[in-house]
Amino acid sequence: MSQPQPPSQKDRLCRLDAWLLPVAAKLVPRARRSDWLREWQAEFWHLRHTQSHAQKISDSAVEVLSLAWGLIADAGWFGINSVRESRRGTASACLLQLAIACSACLVIELFCAGSWHALGMVIIHYFVDRFMLVALPAIFVALATMPSRPRKCNRTQHAGVPTSRARWNLFLTAKIVLSLIFGFLFCVLVSLPVSKALGRYGDWLDVITSTIVLTTSLRLALDDQKHRCERCLRLLRQPVRIGPPSYNLLNWNGTELACAEGHGSLQVPEMQGSWCWYDLWVDSGRRVPLNSEPCI
Amino acid sequence: MTSGKLSHTVAIILKALSLGYQFGFDIMEVTGLPSGTVYPALRRLERDGLVSSNWEAEQQALKEQRPARRYYTLTRLGKEAESAATVRYPLLSRLIPEKLGNTR
Repeated sequence: MSQPQPPSQKDRLCRLDAWLLPVAAKLVPRARRSDWLREWQAEFWHLRHTQSHAQKISDSAVEVLSLAWGLIADAGWFGINSVRESRRGTASACLLQLAIACSACLVIELFCAGSWHALGMVIIHYFVDRFMLVALPAIFVALATMPSRPRKCNRTQHAGVPTSRARWNLFLTAKIVLSLIFGFLFCVLVSLPVSKALGRYGDWLDVITSTIVLTTSLRLALDDQKHRCERCLRLLRQPVRIGPPSYNLLNWNGTELACAEGHGSLQVPEMQGSWCWYDLWVDSGRRVPLNSEPCI
Repeated sequence: MTSGKLSHTVAIILKALSLGYQFGFDIMEVTGLPSGTVYPALRRLERDGLVSSNWEAEQQALKEQRPARRYYTLTRLGKEAESAATVRYPLLSRLIPEKLGNTR
């Protein structure tokens, strides 16, 4: 199996092994780095000692480049995946996605309008003539149809330190503002071709579109907030069914969502209503009495 | 990952794993896929629970006078996906020969 290789191919492999491997390893998260290095060193050993692979490397620089690219792609995958995992469901990721959606709408509108000046005129006209008429009622409807939680159920809600509460409210405000901006820009985007095609009859369609888009985006923003950890604002995951199914509607059963950071869990009842149960946040830092029943 | 989302590349890699090819260069050699495709695909499959990996026993590696390798194997979910891929791409079975001597 092991055969002496010509110096050129040995050099190429040694260069990859000695130079590129430590550089690419910097892209891998520290926790996985030693494992990754060990795996690739074993693979390089196999490459050096297998005649078919080694011959390819010695014959073609493209093979070396392909191998170098593979090494970097693999290390890069670990780096990107680690960032993605750490950012998944966070408040900053949510705001970033909304900001990107707003920017995308703005860029398309700029392209359609032709210039910043023309776009500014369209936006001002749309905002004053149509959006203002719809936005306030839509905000009212979105907030009014949100089921409110009675005070007795708020035993753990926002009971933590004031900074957590401030962050919670700040994030909610930022999300609502960005959702409204996105709703507005999306409506402008839809209205541009509609106005051209239908003329003044397009106004009716604009009003209907604005109402639907604004109410929906606000409700989504508010619903999203309900399923977030109250401490780190990360989206809750791992839904688990808890409680026995209730045939007479008197036993509590529902779904429990947990914070990935272990800050607590949210118990969402199967049935919700003013006469029934509400979502209950159970903070892992607070001791919950064993006999405590979900809020009725 | 459902069978509906299986790409050709993933189907080929799953097939290679099911036939006894267990580490990166082994899979690259039999499939002809470049390292830039095989390794990230293996990582994704492992993350999605279709593949599991573990280190070869040191004694075995020492006996063959080489460093220990990381071996990849199909999980139950991976085997189901591989069966689905074989049904969807019948030519896969002809593309990859079965490994004669398992290195493990």
